[in-house]
Amino acid sequence: MNSVPAGGKSPPDTVLIAEDDPIFRRILQSWLQKWNYHVIALENGLDAWRTLEPEDGPQMAILDWTMPGMDGIEVCRRIRKQQKGPYKYVLLLTAKDSKEDVVAGLEAGADDYLTKPFDVNELHARVRAGKRILQLQGALLKAHTDLQFEAAHDHLTGLWNRGAIMDLLHRETQRGARIGVPVGVIMADLDHFKRINDSYGHPTGDAVLREVGRRLEESVRNYDYVGRYGGEEFLIILAECAPADLIVRAERIRNYISEKPVPTDSGPISVTISIGVAAQPPAGSELRKEEEELVRAADTALYSAKANGRNRVEQAPGLCPESLARAEVAPS
Amino acid sequence: MEPIDLGESQKIQSHSSNSAPIPDPSPPRKILWVKAEALERLGGDEDLLQEVCQIFLQESPKLLQQLRQAIADADPEALMRAAHSLKGELGYLGAAEATQAARELEDMGHQKNLSRATEVFAILDREFAALCLALKESPGATS
Repeated sequence: MNSVPAGGKSPPDTVLIAEDDPIFRRILQSWLQKWNYHVIALENGLDAWRTLEPEDGPQMAILDWTMPGMDGIEVCRRIRKQQKGPYKYVLLLTAKDSKEDVVAGLEAGADDYLTKPFDVNELHARVRAGKRILQLQGALLKAHTDLQFEAAHDHLTGLWNRGAIMDLLHRETQRGARIGVPVGVIMADLDHFKRINDSYGHPTGDAVLREVGRRLEESVRNYDYVGRYGGEEFLIILAECAPADLIVRAERIRNYISEKPVPTDSGPISVTISIGVAAQPPAGSELRKEEEELVRAADTALYSAKANGRNRVEQAPGLCPESLARAEVAPS
Repeated sequence: MEPIDLGESQKIQSHSSNSAPIPDPSPPRKILWVKAEALERLGGDEDLLQEVCQIFLQESPKLLQQLRQAIADADPEALMRAAHSLKGELGYLGAAEATQAARELEDMGHQKNLSRATEVFAILDREFAALCLALKESPGATS
């Protein structure tokens, strides 16, 4: 195991050893393997740096201080200069034990050091300490990722939450204006949702919301966005969607929701949605609207859909003459 | 770590019957390396110790040769590097006197003053030869 593996991610619990002395290299390798680490044993600093440099390289390194070519201190400095990727734990191996040397090593970014001739128990203890740090760091990263997801997603449906969908709308309208493509906004509201809650209870109401959310996601392209705007209200962003297509797509979504009843513990429940649509025409158009206004326009259209009998699509007035023509073909 | 004295049986001696005659006035029952110390560092792993001794016998003469060359070339940098490596290995085996000689050579290289290098190298060379002999005779033997 004296060579660098041919690319790819290092298995977890990989420890890189860079040590030019064959005796210490062998001792380190032998013990680490006994402790079930995957070992990459190298003879010089340059090879060590090449192996450690990729983000998915080994996360733990035992580096000899004195090596030909590039010494352990320099490898350590380079690792610390990298800002991205998971943390790399560096154990510096040294025959130098003066205070200044230890300080220099730690200042170069080493996490810990081991003075030769080290004994096996000390090595084990220090490697374990390193592993603990890496595990904590892994847990922290995971918690961070989980929190990021939670901060942007609706707990019940797993859809984008209101804050996140509004951020996405901002981004998409900016992008649309920049590259000159229209952005469609759909505001959808479950019809008579209060009745479902009142008749079957909130757990069933929640199941219906989840299923409607799932169907909404299924009914759009993977570069569109679906968010839960409020209680039973959903906001959908259709990127690069011409106003005329918007009505057609909204009709399809409406049909998809009502096509089959939602299976719940209380039995199948038929649901319908009312939809209001609005579009941001491409940049340069006089009708260009800011995203808040766009949402308000879609919301107003949604009120019309409710007022006009529910389970239908209405569009914001005067947005696009071309789409007005299509709207008259609408409700089924 | 203090050398652990486990009695005469575990001390490998320089003046065993078939070692080369060494014109050395030092006491005849000198300890060349402390096996117990090395073994303890290796967590009592006899096989690994045996392997380490083999690597030492195979690899360290190259370092000694580098030292000899560095002194001949009056190259303090090379002297320091080779002496440093050898010092680490000798230290691991608990070869106190040889380690001390290597340390002195390393310091000389560091200070770029090789005036006493030949003299100290002679001590190291002698200790080294005796150590290698002892390791060959009794690599990893327990008694």
